Amino acid sequence: MKQNRIIFHIDVNSAYLSWEAVYRLQNGASLDLRTIPSAVGGDPKSRHGIILAKSIPAKQYNIQTGETLHTALQKCPNLHIVSPSYGLYMQCSDAMMKLLEEYSPVIQRFSVDEVFLDYTDMEGHWGDPIAMAHKIKDRIKEELGFTVSIGISSNKLLAKMGSDLKKPDAVTTVFPEEIARKIWPLPVEDLFYVGRATLPKLNKMGIYTIGDLANYDYEHIKYRLKSHGALIWNYSHGQEASPVRGGKHVDIKGIGNSSTIAFDVEDRITACRILLALTETVAMRLRHTENVCGLVAISLRDSELRNYSHQRKLFSPTDCTKEIFEIVTELFDEAWKGEPLRNLGVRVSELSSNELQQKSLFDDVDQERNRALDHAIDQLRLRYGSKAIMKATFLNSGVKSMIGGVGADDYPMMASLL
Amino acid sequence: MRVVAKPIDVIAKFNKEGIPTPIKFKITGEDEAEVTIKVERVITRDLEKLAGNKMFVFRCQSVINGGEKIYELKYGLETCKWMLFKI
Ligand SMILES: [Mg+2]
Repeated sequence: MKQNRIIFHIDVNSAYLSWEAVYRLQNGASLDLRTIPSAVGGDPKSRHGIILAKSIPAKQYNIQTGETLHTALQKCPNLHIVSPSYGLYMQCSDAMMKLLEEYSPVIQRFSVDEVFLDYTDMEGHWGDPIAMAHKIKDRIKEELGFTVSIGISSNKLLAKMGSDLKKPDAVTTVFPEEIARKIWPLPVEDLFYVGRATLPKLNKMGIYTIGDLANYDYEHIKYRLKSHGALIWNYSHGQEASPVRGGKHVDIKGIGNSSTIAFDVEDRITACRILLALTETVAMRLRHTENVCGLVAISLRDSELRNYSHQRKLFSPTDCTKEIFEIVTELFDEAWKGEPLRNLGVRVSELSSNELQQKSLFDDVDQERNRALDHAIDQLRLRYGSKAIMKATFLNSGVKSMIGGVGADDYPMMASLL
Repeated sequence: MRVVAKPIDVIAKFNKEGIPTPIKFKITGEDEAEVTIKVERVITRDLEKLAGNKMFVFRCQSVINGGEKIYELKYGLETCKWMLFKI
């Protein structure tokens, strides 16, 4: 790898909320959601679900991402809540990717609202990186209507920390020589991979800031926390070397959804309908990432809160709803012991790019037709919403035709989308 | 001008590049009466991409109620719907 890389991390400020606000303004809304206490999440009518994103004025009421609408409305009764719209967020994310593609061939969508861009060797073309980051930021604001924060450094870790330092609408550099000044004063839990489990251990060693960790003895921390200790110590010195992965490669191990049911599921048909609804969403998300999966798993929790799961490796990877659901039902029939169920989940993993898949497409006429069908259904749902088209089995069944996707009740689906 | 965002019926012409130009539109007024307005002049046309949603924005001029008026029409490329956005 090149010695002196220049990496940008572009992060949309309050992404879902800004996107909802911009779209509404474009279509004539008199109110900018960003200027009032507002939040995206759940279903404002039934008041079910959780907060996925909040406006800056909502932060003053201590509204937390992840809390229930119920709790949030207790804190702030006039909180303006809007349901999430999956299609809109992908559209905003895609538009931003398209704009960024003009500046470098090597860009990586890290999540729906975060992108890494490798600017190495682009200076000759586009000029000074800081000036260019300002230009990109301003173009996004002007053309797409939302603000971003951009971090610039010599690797992905520091670039990402940089974009977090100043928000909204800002450009911040964190080059290696700036780490001590800009990064070391931060609390150690702001560092990647310092989670809830690691923090108390570090605190016990007298480590409270990233600087404390950086100045701690390497051998000692490695002895106490093993390889994880070595990793976070290196991070505290800004040492990280992963490449910006171009194309549609995504940093995900798997895509999953589960749903807790309000009643005991005691019959196979209802259980399979719920599994189908989950599969519909999981498969759609899988296709959007342009990946195929090599492993399908289900998880079940019974009314005694006992969990179990069952999985199968596939002979040939797929992204087809029908194929995935066939395996899901096989797994269910093998695993279910007949007891009442309260939670069901579907997960796909061992993802790989669908590029090769597409080449073998003409081998199987059925597969080709299924692919066309999936594509058509995805387009309809993105355009007209999840209820635009549904499998007939859901009619009058009391089970929703897609669970965990568009307007998800209980899952922040976009968080795991990419 | 202020935002009204009213859906309208429109007669437009499209050129070979697929770009529309509004010719006249029909709007339902407050008293439920329909008014047809001829677009006398399209002053500017911009392609807006806010939130990744493409819309043509036309700044136009017509004589309405005996006076010259400037207003904005919007056409959504995704929805294929027109609206009187600002007047
Ligand atoms: Mg963000």
